[in-house]
Amino acid sequence: METSTTTAKVKIHLTTRSEDIQLPVETGPILVPTELRRYQLSTLVNTLLETVQPVPLEFLVNGQFLRTSLDEYLTQNGISAETTLNVEYVKALIPPLHVASYEHDDWVSAVDVLSNSARAAQTSRSDDLIPERILSGSYDGTIRIWNMSSEVVATGAAHTAAIKAAKFLSPTQVVSAGIDRTLRLWKYDDAAVGSASTLTATLELYGHKSSIDNIAVHSPSSRILSASSDHTVGVWSTRKNDAPAAPESLLPIANKRRKLSNTTQRPQRGPLSLLSGHQSQVSDVCFDEKDATVAYSTSWDHTVKTWDLTTSACVDTRTTAQSLFSILHLPETGLLATGTSARHISLIDPRASATVISAMTLRGHTNAVVSLAQDPNSNHQIVSGSHDGTCRVWDLRSVKQGNAEKTGESVYVIERDSAKGRKRPEAGDGVKVFGVCWDKDVGIVSGGEDKQVQINKGSQ
Amino acid sequence: MAQRAGQKRKVVEVPRPEEDSGVDEELDNVVLNGALSDDGESEDEFSTEDGDGDVDGDEDELDDDEIDSDEIPSSEDEDDIRGQMEKLKTNGRPKTPPEKLMGSDTGHDINTFSPETPMKPLEVEGKKRRTFTRIDVDANGEPRYIYDEIEPNYDSDDSDFLVPTNTIGDIPLTYYDEYPHIGYDINGRRIARPAKGEALDSLLDSIDIPEGWTGLTDPNTGKPMQLTGADLEILKKLTRNEAPGEGYDPYPDMVEYFTGKGMEMTMPLSAAPEPKRRFVPSMHEHKRVMKMVKAIKEGRIKPYSKPTEADREREEAEQDFASFDIWANEIPRPDHPMNIPAPKLPPPGYEESYHPPPEYLPDKQEREAWEQQDEEDRERYAKLVKEKFERCLDLYLAPRVRRSKLNIDPESLLPKLPDPNELRPFPSVCATIYKGHEGRIRSLSIESYGKYVATGGDDGTVRVWEIVSGKQLWRIRLSSSEAVNQVSWQPSRETCIIAACCGEQVHFIVPQGEICNPEQDRRSREVLDSGFGYAASNATKTAAGVDKPSSANWLRPSQTLQDKGVLLTITLRSSPKTLAWHRRGDYFSTVSPSTTSTSTAVAVHTLSKHQTQYPFRRLKGLAQTVCFHPSKPLFFVATRQSIRIYDLQQQRLEKQLQPGAQWISAISLHPLGSNLLVSSYDKRLLWHDLDLGATPYKTLRYHSKAIRSVQFHPSLPLFADASDDGTLQVFHGNVMGDSLDNATVVPLKVLRGHKVVKNLGVLDVEWHPREAWCVSAGADGVARLWT
Repeated sequence: METSTTTAKVKIHLTTRSEDIQLPVETGPILVPTELRRYQLSTLVNTLLETVQPVPLEFLVNGQFLRTSLDEYLTQNGISAETTLNVEYVKALIPPLHVASYEHDDWVSAVDVLSNSARAAQTSRSDDLIPERILSGSYDGTIRIWNMSSEVVATGAAHTAAIKAAKFLSPTQVVSAGIDRTLRLWKYDDAAVGSASTLTATLELYGHKSSIDNIAVHSPSSRILSASSDHTVGVWSTRKNDAPAAPESLLPIANKRRKLSNTTQRPQRGPLSLLSGHQSQVSDVCFDEKDATVAYSTSWDHTVKTWDLTTSACVDTRTTAQSLFSILHLPETGLLATGTSARHISLIDPRASATVISAMTLRGHTNAVVSLAQDPNSNHQIVSGSHDGTCRVWDLRSVKQGNAEKTGESVYVIERDSAKGRKRPEAGDGVKVFGVCWDKDVGIVSGGEDKQVQINKGSQ
Repeated sequence: MAQRAGQKRKVVEVPRPEEDSGVDEELDNVVLNGALSDDGESEDEFSTEDGDGDVDGDEDELDDDEIDSDEIPSSEDEDDIRGQMEKLKTNGRPKTPPEKLMGSDTGHDINTFSPETPMKPLEVEGKKRRTFTRIDVDANGEPRYIYDEIEPNYDSDDSDFLVPTNTIGDIPLTYYDEYPHIGYDINGRRIARPAKGEALDSLLDSIDIPEGWTGLTDPNTGKPMQLTGADLEILKKLTRNEAPGEGYDPYPDMVEYFTGKGMEMTMPLSAAPEPKRRFVPSMHEHKRVMKMVKAIKEGRIKPYSKPTEADREREEAEQDFASFDIWANEIPRPDHPMNIPAPKLPPPGYEESYHPPPEYLPDKQEREAWEQQDEEDRERYAKLVKEKFERCLDLYLAPRVRRSKLNIDPESLLPKLPDPNELRPFPSVCATIYKGHEGRIRSLSIESYGKYVATGGDDGTVRVWEIVSGKQLWRIRLSSSEAVNQVSWQPSRETCIIAACCGEQVHFIVPQGEICNPEQDRRSREVLDSGFGYAASNATKTAAGVDKPSSANWLRPSQTLQDKGVLLTITLRSSPKTLAWHRRGDYFSTVSPSTTSTSTAVAVHTLSKHQTQYPFRRLKGLAQTVCFHPSKPLFFVATRQSIRIYDLQQQRLEKQLQPGAQWISAISLHPLGSNLLVSSYDKRLLWHDLDLGATPYKTLRYHSKAIRSVQFHPSLPLFADASDDGTLQVFHGNVMGDSLDNATVVPLKVLRGHKVVKNLGVLDVEWHPREAWCVSAGADGVARLWT
């Protein structure tokens, strides 16, 4: 009797969705003392798993990460200790710590990472070790490639205006786009140490009538998607030979005073197709992770459109309540994470069978969410960059059922290092984040108004 | 000490210690002895305690010798004594035996044995005191006069009898610590230090506590202080605040020695002699008396005599009321003022009209029985009191008319305003801050696609910003000295032209920096250039037709400006402050409020023809702002206090609105064209329904300072105003399609963030063409996007 009062116990049922940390034997409900905290539970599961090197684990109880002891959790939520708790354990996400910041001349609008684990590297035929490189596009109209010791390896300056998007196509190819309405393909030669790497423009793609705000690349099919302010989504080929000729009217005017002397030397091509249907400027576009013939685009007209790229037709339109600024396809659940102007991320179900448009809402940002990236290690974690000057890491398993919608809270908030711990300025003034990227090797890379590319990594 | 105690006790028992006289001789010796070796005499021993009082004199002396050695007080003892003495000194009161104060009958005894008594063993003057003075032999064998002790009793004149007999004065007794005595008496004899009790002594003391023992030491004599039963009684009374002695009257009658009856002359208040008038009879009294005497003599005053019977009758007759019936022989007459008719008799009351049937009336027997009853017991109507009371209550509490009270919650009378949360979307937080302008931003304009914002300010620059990121994409400095008063994108979507009013010029700018695509750029240039050809071909005609010189010059700017994007400049006579485009973008109107002639205040320009017209020959009032109707050919001109609506096609005044504002700052027409918002510098925002009349439909006074600008949202039911108090206010303003319903106006949000600089807050506000976003331009040099 006395022992039971001193150490109350609760039955927990341990589950996980990760294959590699699956319990060897189905244990069934385990009776554990309620005073256990995350760390003790983690030790317990590690002993059950018989891991050589203990894996730090997090525990999700009813969609909430366990941050207190079990006892306090039960008291806070008014759950009887006699019920069996379904506890899901996940590999703990290590808090991303600031690693380095790369100084730029102007605001950084886009970032991308090339590394062995990056998607751009998957197409590489050679098995060579690809050095880790960070690509940044800036408002000064140049793209830069950095190595990990904060040195500019190569610079590409062919755009006539600010760059809004830049991505690695492959370890040797880069594509960038910007306010000057063109997409430019670059050939990147990563030279061995000692000699200079080069970034040479190889192709100019004309077709948009207004600035290009985002691009998406799919290297296996050598397709590029561009989201433009002229209300269209451009579909482009990375290969010179596939692409049609560029429309004459959109080529730069020759009689302009400012001679673009070198433009004529580069081949100019037009779009494979321009997908029109949006009522307002298209803010972001992405490929379906599983099916490269399907694309999703978000627009300021509050809609998410699903495009069939083979027929260049709009398959489906989902209308939300606010302008959408960014999109990310989550292959595991088939949901689309969209960053909105209403300061949250809403997970939109694009499938025709879906009854609710917004499956979940992630709240926490205080300004427009303009960039999203997925955790390369997990299907459940994403990072978002917002104009409020923070990047936030979200775990989609951490769900709270509100009265009308499911909401989630961020796991970690990454502040800008340039803010130096000061109070966040109003409207993210001076520290807005414009682009974010998450790489397995490099970590979370983000660029913003503070003219810096900031690298954050959870140190193992 | 013990010895003294013993003596005292003995003395109390035996009133007079005369027995000592027999041993004078011995004692005398002892005196000498004591004088030499000081202490011998006083130290006594327990034997005295044991022995009876009668023998103690002898024994004293014997013992003295024996115990000489003991007498040197140990330091501890000294301390004890000193402590005790000090205690007593501070107590003060016990110094004086109370008996003396009270004058009790034991006074004499106490006198003999109180403080003075210590001398007795030395001299035994108890007997001699009776004699007058005697001559003694002193230590040298010479005669010594010993005087009688003055007995300080009530009979004596000595008022100092209370002074302690120790004459050392007010010095600490510690000075005598080294000596066997503690001072000197009135005769210069040493007062021996009292015996210091030893352990056994005190033990015995404690075993057999003598009566009146207090354990205290008299500080003056150093002897134990004893209190008799009478003393204790007195002390007890004193502690109870009672009169100390028996028969003591604390409030005796006052003996009037100098005051009171018969003593007036003894203690006169003034030394002045009594005036004469006190002694002579009064003249006025005499006069009065003489008057009375005269009256009596003349018979005017008669002495009192008892009233006779006749008098009494006469008096009564006088008091009787004499009544005359003036209406006795009344003859009916017609009404006349001089005739008062007899008053009507009142109608019969209850008494007269009560005619119950005989069976209800009491018969003779009953009446007699009733009358024989005691007044108290007579039977009455049983419920009389109760019913009377209830009736009174009714009259008191029940009002004749029931007043129906309206029970209305005042809240319910207010119109039902929808919850702002239901009216989303509307801007609520600042999303972007556009920083870069030096000085105030006077005007801003959002591109028709809603992608770029153009601002113009005091620093003479026009800047183009990316709306969400807040990045300044392009800027041009139009003037280094003059402010850009107004920037405005041309509403057309095919072109990309910004009109900017700077100084006396209106510039038409095609922004560079890849803001517009080549096609837009080309079309914009075409639009701006086309007028040059028209103006050239029609120049002669204009000159021939009208002799009036052209008041506006349409010119190409300098080449450097052309390179920067300024393709056309109009120079007006006076600086235009506002510029309003027609929806098609070909016409625009400028207002120059500061012009000298009212005729050139409002100008309507045609871009395609490079033509400037002044539609008003004479404008009443000072023009402030203008606007074009979105669908009809109507032209709204706001002067300081009124708004006129002109039909451009028929060229006549359509309507005049009187908002009642002192000074109109801006107007905004609803996209449907039937409602007009007017903001004024006198803090008012006025909603005009053009169908309703000349007076405003609603007046909104929510700002604490002048309102600078107001604008309807182009597509959503929203409007916002900007004020000098640094805030913007966002309203929901829903206009119904039909004219049956009035517009609803709901205040939604106050947007704060702009700083007030030199009493200027927010200078301009403009809505995004599609989103519920607005951009505001502040005097603090920043523009803000609110989402």
